[in-house]
Amino acid sequence: MIDTKHQIIFNAEDCVGCKLCYKACFVDVIRWDEEKNQPVFKYVEDCEHCFWCEALCKKKCIKVIPDFASEKLLQTFDRYL
Amino acid sequence: MDMYGHENLRADILIIGGGVAGLTAAISLKEINPELDVLIVEKQTAGYSGKACRGGGVLQYFDFDKITPEQFVEYHVHNIGCHLGDQELLLKYVSMNNHMLDKLVEWGAKLPKRADGSYAVIPTGPMTGIIGVDLDITIRLRRTAEKMGVRFLDKVTVSDLLTAGDKIAGATGYSILDGTFYTFNAKSVILATGSQNYRIGPMWGSGRGDGIAAAYRAGAEMRNPEFGNFAQLVRVRSHREVVYGENYMYNQLDEHITKNFRSGPEPDISSTAIAEWFMQMSMARGPIILKPENHGGSLESMWDRPFGSPFWKLNEEWADKVDEDWEVCPMFIGEQSPVKVDHSMQTTIPGLYAIGDASYCGSAAPGAVPAPPGRNRGSGILNAVFAGIVCAQSAAENANNNSLPPIDKTQVEDCMTRAYAPLLRESGCDAKDVIRYIQKAVGPMERSVYMSDHRIVTALRYVEKAKELAGSMKASDFHDLLACHEANAMVLSAEMQFRAAAMRTESRGWFLREDYPEMDNKNWLKWIIVKKEGDTMKFSTEAVPYDKWPIKPNV
Repeated sequence: MIDTKHQIIFNAEDCVGCKLCYKACFVDVIRWDEEKNQPVFKYVEDCEHCFWCEALCKKKCIKVIPDFASEKLLQTFDRYL
Repeated sequence: MDMYGHENLRADILIIGGGVAGLTAAISLKEINPELDVLIVEKQTAGYSGKACRGGGVLQYFDFDKITPEQFVEYHVHNIGCHLGDQELLLKYVSMNNHMLDKLVEWGAKLPKRADGSYAVIPTGPMTGIIGVDLDITIRLRRTAEKMGVRFLDKVTVSDLLTAGDKIAGATGYSILDGTFYTFNAKSVILATGSQNYRIGPMWGSGRGDGIAAAYRAGAEMRNPEFGNFAQLVRVRSHREVVYGENYMYNQLDEHITKNFRSGPEPDISSTAIAEWFMQMSMARGPIILKPENHGGSLESMWDRPFGSPFWKLNEEWADKVDEDWEVCPMFIGEQSPVKVDHSMQTTIPGLYAIGDASYCGSAAPGAVPAPPGRNRGSGILNAVFAGIVCAQSAAENANNNSLPPIDKTQVEDCMTRAYAPLLRESGCDAKDVIRYIQKAVGPMERSVYMSDHRIVTALRYVEKAKELAGSMKASDFHDLLACHEANAMVLSAEMQFRAAAMRTESRGWFLREDYPEMDNKNWLKWIIVKKEGDTMKFSTEAVPYDKWPIKPNV
């Protein structure tokens, strides 16, 4: 998917810097800020809403809000363009 | 040109890609010879990348007390592969099924078992069953590989392969974090980079064909590129797959349209289901809805897979929020996997191997069907494990028998120049501008799945447009540079897919053409082969050697 409008909400206060979200992201949406020892959600427009960053966060710091309507099905009929 | 730093790394064996195929190969190599220096380079994080850890978590199972491997091969040749498959290789895959499951357990994967200790198998037909596997399979395999001394390099993407004469010599790539350029020198190189999915299906986001493109550019032959058109029915709001949903398709006249393309049970989604959807929509009888007789309950109730559970739960919860009904539409998945390999998974470049979804169709084992799941649920992970185990023997021998090949500095310079070009361009288009055109070519079902000559020509026009733009892509950072590099791979994959599809003037297995609806055994018991010659994409055919296999086609 490209041109998606998913959102990722991050609660920095509770983050313990385990890096699991960073490792889990398979499409390079998440980078790591070594100074702050926290994730940076740098390329959210490339998120594939796999939810792994949220699922693996032990402190529940991450919430992925998918915008399914922004994912194009690319079919020729108007309702699925 | 060394503006971002340059590292030279050596290894006996370089594995590109840290998903289940690459990890299996690494562990198998260490089992053969613990002294081998094995390096896995992965553009994201090995163990968390690839598809095995974010899919359905199932493994294909054969109960050899009930069927023989030969019986399954016969069934597959008639019903799925349609005489285009290599029966010997498929037989080897099926015969190794129980061994592979035991190996996965030995390497740390969690497979749910019943109280009596047997695997919790769910039958999927008279010939096959599936077993769950928890989604930490690749993380566990990575840990096992690390304990055995396998080295890992994450966040480095391989952009090209290096050759010395006609043999492999290594690869080049760059860090997606800081742009450091890497030159890898290795005796054997194993491509475990997945298939081409063109960035359409969300869960297939990692398959972007960069390994396929690197192999093509290095001169490796491709086989069966036209079988890169897998599609699945999804619910139209959440885009969640509805596995086996094709059995319950209804149009707005309340007709059970499954009966138009299916007279009895079939193993999985077929391209005929996609064609039926398209025809019904074209006749204004859509939208198409499913009326599942039985939702079947969750596999969670049958299998204990605690690691994957929160992942599936989040997906399900969000889908439940948006899915108002059972309206479905096909979604293009792709799964092009054309790197041609022999029975040891060696490509046509000596010392270069391709495994897993990079070479599923290129191996010819499956015949006329796209890469896993390819109408064979649970075969994706096991095909990767099979290819990983099989290639290790030959890759280890090759490494033992050869010294490190020389690296050609001019080749490295050329690779570096090509890799960084979009960064150095002052202006140009975005990688996504190119990808949009490719998606217009492959996305619509009537262009890529239910094809005709006219519609393939239309698709190729979009591919040409993408190709024109690709030469002027501009990257703003290394993340963007990777997108450019992947966009180039998509252009290459789409071109070989559609040009091969135009050649195959018949319908066979998953490959379906409206203008050539019949299987043509007289002219098309052939594989389409693609190879780079100079700047030309050269196509040829190779006769399927069915004479040497037990199950013969009617010619």
